[in-house]
Amino acid sequence: MQRQSLIARLSRRAWPAGKAFALVGGAFGCTFLALLFWLAVDQHLVLDGSQRLLDHAVPATLERFRLARNVEQLRLEGEHVFSGRTPVARQQALFIVSLLASHPAVLADARAAGLAGEVERFLSRSMHEGMSEARHAEWAMLASRLTLLADDVSSEGVNLATADLHRMSATMLQSRSKLLLVLALVAVFVGGFVFLIRRHLIQPLQAIDQALSALGSGQAVTPFAPASMLEIRAVERAIGQLREVMQENETTREQLERLATTDGLTGMFNRRHFLAVAEEEIKRAQRYSRPICVGMADLDFFKHINDSHGHASGDLVLQSVAEIFARTLRHSDWGCRFGGEEFAFVFPETGLREAHRLAERLRQSAAASQIALADGSRVDITLSLGLADASSCPLEIALQRADAALYDAKQQGRNRVVTAPVGHATGETARQPFNGDAPPSVDTAST
Amino acid sequence: MPGIRSQACLLLLALGLSLPVGASERTLRVAVLSKSPPMSFVDAAGKLAGFNVRVAHALCDVMSVRCELTAMPLERVVDAVAAGEFDFAAVSLLDTAERRSRILFSKPYYRSSSIWFARPGVEPGAAGIRVAAVTGSAQSRYARAHGWNIVNVPHHAEFPALLTERKADAVLLPMASALTLRQEPSIQSLGLVTTVIQRPELSGEVCFGIDPQNPELRDQINKAFDRIKRDGRFDRLNSEYLPFRLQ
Repeated sequence: MQRQSLIARLSRRAWPAGKAFALVGGAFGCTFLALLFWLAVDQHLVLDGSQRLLDHAVPATLERFRLARNVEQLRLEGEHVFSGRTPVARQQALFIVSLLASHPAVLADARAAGLAGEVERFLSRSMHEGMSEARHAEWAMLASRLTLLADDVSSEGVNLATADLHRMSATMLQSRSKLLLVLALVAVFVGGFVFLIRRHLIQPLQAIDQALSALGSGQAVTPFAPASMLEIRAVERAIGQLREVMQENETTREQLERLATTDGLTGMFNRRHFLAVAEEEIKRAQRYSRPICVGMADLDFFKHINDSHGHASGDLVLQSVAEIFARTLRHSDWGCRFGGEEFAFVFPETGLREAHRLAERLRQSAAASQIALADGSRVDITLSLGLADASSCPLEIALQRADAALYDAKQQGRNRVVTAPVGHATGETARQPFNGDAPPSVDTAST
Repeated sequence: MPGIRSQACLLLLALGLSLPVGASERTLRVAVLSKSPPMSFVDAAGKLAGFNVRVAHALCDVMSVRCELTAMPLERVVDAVAAGEFDFAAVSLLDTAERRSRILFSKPYYRSSSIWFARPGVEPGAAGIRVAAVTGSAQSRYARAHGWNIVNVPHHAEFPALLTERKADAVLLPMASALTLRQEPSIQSLGLVTTVIQRPELSGEVCFGIDPQNPELRDQINKAFDRIKRDGRFDRLNSEYLPFRLQ
């Protein structure tokens, strides 16, 4: 249990990457050195064997060959003793036989010494007593024994190196097995090392890369599983902090954008943003020769509402009107609070006839609604609207013409929609201030 | 400045001239016998030849050194090597305690014995006989130690004349020299008989003698002997000069 908990503690613990991999590398280095030493023992044995072969076996083999050569020379000189052309040559051959028979190198081998002595005695006897057929036959046997002895000595010489070669061969085989084992261990270790690097460095780095990509594209970041390397954990923490900061910044940006583009009271676009949007819509419509209209609307008798019920009620009325617009307008239409109780619209892809129906629907919606005020009273409202075609003139001109139409609607008694005639001159429709706005009918019945 | 430059040039020139000399192979002074065939002798062309001479050249070749051979009688060899006059002696020296106390020995390069060469009926140690031996040889020392009547000569090559002129009744000489003496035409008519003397003082391992102050050279020579015995050079020389293997 204690061991398990120790392993669990070790695996949960975060390690500094440098130290951890230095530890693993050190363990590998020590193991590898030990294995190399293990292999070096065999190498040392092989080197020892080859040195022994060179220093002892080869010289001893050569000595055996030399002895074999002397035994064979003994036979040859014996033949000369029998077949020498002159007595001097035969004497000389016998002399060499006697030298060979007493040569320390020949005497060092018991078999060679015995046979050489036998040969020398036989040849001396034959030299002094004469060469008979029986002696020739005996010499033939002795010569045969000399040849066989020379063969035996040569074979012994060859076999001297065999034991050493067998030993070296066995060591080499053992060394090969060890080498294979070492290679297998190295392969396992390298595999393990690669696994550790992948598990504890590459995968966390890939997760970090994904998280940073997600942050860059504004997607939600998946929380990290705690990494085992301290450095990786530090980066993950930093990414978490970065994500929070970026989220705060995004919220702030959105708030600022909303503040910059909307009217604080009604939530509709403000005039500046509306003008930018409308400008773009008109440019697009004119580029592709598509119909587009603008409209201006004014809340009838709003001053009277403010005066009668206070500015708070006036604000409430404006908010209610904004809600009516939101309900009634299409998704493709843009509207804004142009100023005070005045509103402006742009209707993309819409001709004057269609725009008029839309404006009429707005007017009817407004006229059909009763707005409940804070004091319990209800107030009826009406809208006057002016429309103008914007498909062939700049926004400013179109708005002036819509404003002139709105003026006409006011002049004609309010609560109506007036469309500016196409090609109507701007200067001729210059708006004049209204006077003598009659109060709207107010339903004062309590609710 | 020009003075410094010229001095530097001179220095470089001096170095350049001296380097080849310094880098050239060193020269070893080698003592050999002049009249001791087949091991060491002056051939018909007046050049030193023989088994020991050729072995000395082979050793020097293996050691990558140049050898300067000087011929001399055996009598002087041990003294000269002991005195440092020669780096080594390519002379077949029986490994005796007396010699070993004065010079270094290489590892044995063959085993030898001694031959008694005499008229028929003249036995080693017989009273009144004159035994010839080379001054400074183990054979001479043995004869002296046994109180024999010695005729000392400086070279093995003088034995035939001693025998034919009857200045000596017998000669005591090493195995290899006996081979040459046995072939000498002038003594064939004498009917000499040969006897191998199996005495520890007269047979055994034979070495080259080396300057006692230079044990490193001994190690080098030993390695060179191993080398020429392994690569076959030694055996080829053996076949060239002697009818059987020395070792």
